[in-house]
Amino acid sequence: MVIKKGKFTIEGLENVQINIGKVISSDEEKEEPQGPTPAPDIHELRDWDMRLLKRYEPVYSPICDLCCYCTYGKCDLTGNKEGACGINQEAHQAREAMLRTLTGAAAHAGHGRHLLNHLIERFGADHPIDVGPSNIKAPVTQTVLGIKPETIGDFVPVLDYVEEQITQLLATTHIGQEGSAIDFESKALHAGMVDHVGMEVSDIIQISCLDMPKSQADAPLVDVGMGIIDSTKPVLLCIGHNVAAVTYIMDYMEEHDLFDKIELAAICCTAHDMTRVNPKAKVVGSLSKQLKYIRSGIPDLIIVDEQCIRADMMRETSKLHIPVIATNDKVMYGLPDRSNDDIDDIINDLASGDQPGVLLFDYDKVGELAPKLVMKMAPIRKEKGITALPSDEEFKKLASSCTQCGACVIGCPQGLEIDKAMEAAVEGDLTLFEELHDKCIGCGRCEFECPKDIPILNVIEKAAQKVIREEKGKVRTGRGQVGDPEIREEGVNLVMGTTPGIIAIIGCPNYPDGSRDVYEIAEEMLQRSYIVVTSGCSAMDIGMFKDDEGKTLYERYGGSFLKGNLLNTGSCVSNAHITATTIKVAAIFARRDISGNFEEIADYVMNRIGAVGLAWGGFTQKALSIGTGCNRLGIPVVLGPHGPKYRRAYTGKPYDKDKWNLLDARDGSVHNVEPAPEHLLISAENKAELMPLLAKLCFRPGDNNLGRMIKLTHYIELSEKYLGVLPDDWHIYVRSEADLPLAKREKLLKVLEEEHGWKIDWEKKKILEGPARKVDVSFQPTNVPRLCKGASE
Amino acid sequence: MATKELDTTKNAVPFDRANIPGPKMAKAVKAEVAGKFISKAKRPLLIVGTAAGDDGVIEIVRSMAEKGIPVAATGSSLKRLKEEGIDATYVNLHALVSYLKDPDWKGFDGKGGYDTTIFLGHTYYYASQLMSTLKNFTKIKIISIDRHYHPNAQQSFGNLKPDDFIKALDVVVAQL
Repeated sequence: MVIKKGKFTIEGLENVQINIGKVISSDEEKEEPQGPTPAPDIHELRDWDMRLLKRYEPVYSPICDLCCYCTYGKCDLTGNKEGACGINQEAHQAREAMLRTLTGAAAHAGHGRHLLNHLIERFGADHPIDVGPSNIKAPVTQTVLGIKPETIGDFVPVLDYVEEQITQLLATTHIGQEGSAIDFESKALHAGMVDHVGMEVSDIIQISCLDMPKSQADAPLVDVGMGIIDSTKPVLLCIGHNVAAVTYIMDYMEEHDLFDKIELAAICCTAHDMTRVNPKAKVVGSLSKQLKYIRSGIPDLIIVDEQCIRADMMRETSKLHIPVIATNDKVMYGLPDRSNDDIDDIINDLASGDQPGVLLFDYDKVGELAPKLVMKMAPIRKEKGITALPSDEEFKKLASSCTQCGACVIGCPQGLEIDKAMEAAVEGDLTLFEELHDKCIGCGRCEFECPKDIPILNVIEKAAQKVIREEKGKVRTGRGQVGDPEIREEGVNLVMGTTPGIIAIIGCPNYPDGSRDVYEIAEEMLQRSYIVVTSGCSAMDIGMFKDDEGKTLYERYGGSFLKGNLLNTGSCVSNAHITATTIKVAAIFARRDISGNFEEIADYVMNRIGAVGLAWGGFTQKALSIGTGCNRLGIPVVLGPHGPKYRRAYTGKPYDKDKWNLLDARDGSVHNVEPAPEHLLISAENKAELMPLLAKLCFRPGDNNLGRMIKLTHYIELSEKYLGVLPDDWHIYVRSEADLPLAKREKLLKVLEEEHGWKIDWEKKKILEGPARKVDVSFQPTNVPRLCKGASE
Repeated sequence: MATKELDTTKNAVPFDRANIPGPKMAKAVKAEVAGKFISKAKRPLLIVGTAAGDDGVIEIVRSMAEKGIPVAATGSSLKRLKEEGIDATYVNLHALVSYLKDPDWKGFDGKGGYDTTIFLGHTYYYASQLMSTLKNFTKIKIISIDRHYHPNAQQSFGNLKPDDFIKALDVVVAQL
């Protein structure tokens, strides 16, 4: 007999109700030991945070010097002054950064809760978790909460925990609560950690219920790009992150054989998740394509769910007679709720334009209505030729009306030289606009600045039509987790350093110099045998560019967790699988107990696993919370040049030797080590500065000689390639001659002798004196005294 | 003389219109004043970003380096500086501002921190945001001799046309 959760009555004893809340299996009883911090409250990992923050001190970069948080103010905190409530600039900035982290965590957790409620209703709480060939099915959840979920219903208390922590953290930002910058940082790290739990829940339940790829290295390739849509067909565009409603549309289209009659496409993470459910769907692209694509007039119907959807959606779509159906209560745009109305009535009201959009929370109705409506809308709209883009004649007139005042340039967050492109366009040269198209993030701020009311975004898109038509790439659909067998195969290479590192390219498309950067970064690191993991908007943009043979990176490189492979985990919430991978390495390769054992696992990850996150175009609160969650797990993160607007970073000071002491877990002895990783959260100005920084941040104190040699080789080569010099700190990562790159060993020994005063035995080509420490293959680096034999805190 | 017509205090509005940090914003200064300000510094540091490699600007960097001002090369500026034979030290700008706010940092030459930072050749929004660290958490003087008005500096040029920018830099160097 299978005992399930739920309410039961016994025949003849109808007055007695039996509630079974949790079924404990015999396997579960034999689980690994529980660690010291299952489901930790805010303060329980504070010691770990303080260890991190002592080494990686927060550095604040206020985006506003005022505090406008209560009616005491505004308070001028310039120069670290205190406001009326007593908070100083430093603590206020820490609070602001923490609030953003928390907002990101809430967005993911809210997404997860909506999806969990929906999927439990649809599939039942007992629906089993199936993420692929893994015993560790929910590594982040297990590490943080100490439980091993087996069914989707098991995630209910997990999200209860996440939501409680978010509430408690939010409470601390009220006036008269926390006043310490460093404790706000600890709270931000806590928010980042619970964010990864919320993300993991969201993705595991959808993988399990919606038949998405399960640790599938060869997940299907799908089309991506603004040029892939056949606009002669009705075009149904979905935007957002929550795939729940869209699955009903796909089911209806399959049942009615509509996939060859309707173009079903999406922008942002809903696109990833749609293609994971059904690869017949198409990916228009990342967030920066949203306004551009709407303005093209190509979509005949837009379905929105939640997150990263433009706030001006209704203004934009109304002008173009594109109906909008909102399917999630996070985004309702003041629209009427028509969930209880007849489908045909709704269709008529939207097609006639009587209503610009509706709310529809009945997903069965969404599934049927959307295909029917888009087929009705398409001929109406196509006959009228509705588009926001100017005709050739209008384009010339608009470009000629530009007075070169430069207001658009000052209004542009990227400072793009739109004025110069206008000037060239008047002369018939569109190349500047074509270049600008990729760099433009499609925000539309320029239009509000133009004194001539030129619809600048439309002008850019019109001028770049040739380029846009060619925007046709491929992205591998999100594969989900890295499976346990892959960890068994690759973990040793990663820990030993023979695989130089994991570069996780995540986040949004607010790139400083266009989307091509992320493609080139990924390509270079893949060629150097790093494992490149990606997700979200970055994963799409990486697939937008091709080599000379017309192949994208996804076609050129495998999707396994092996060196030189490119893995797309999936949507934003799939970022949890990246942190989960490092946890799995600790569990499977190093046999660490992970249940409720966050600190030990984070300590292991930080000292052993050369993983680095890169949010090159990160601009959302979610990108910050994802990064902050990585940070608490000991994974350094690099941001693009917009990154300091998040208000704080965690930087290391390599010159302060006292900050780089580690313990040897074998005996508790203290060892001064090289600064590895040097920073926990930092930004770079451009791609050229970024490349050697990525390689440097892969160094770990636990590297063996071979691993260090390989990592040093890449660091030196990338520095020489992009900065034109041997990095001035390369020598501090040398512990013996065996750490030196083979091809350059003699040359580097000479540099060590002549420039750094090291003593070299030239006959044996050995270093006699100089390194800060020697290699000890048995060294067990740790930052946590309690993990040392015979030592106490 | 052309330099007399040059007024670097005009158009002193943030190059990113929304970049209004608060009540304390940079004073727009004439190039001569900027030059004198720099010349009075006891421990100046010229912080150059990637755009300092542009023609015209690189000669200014060379001139300032030759006047004995140490050069911190941020972004990927070092490559061009080395090609031009200009002595400079690479440092990440985000890391640099954290070092500068550390009273125990001994500087690039081991002789102590810096009392004046001079910004030139930076990605606008990046430098602006990191100047705010120095502005809010250090006593270090911040002067921007970049082409666009930087509110988080103590002294800055207004937004300049490219030709005027180079002329202004020549005036600055002449004061050193």
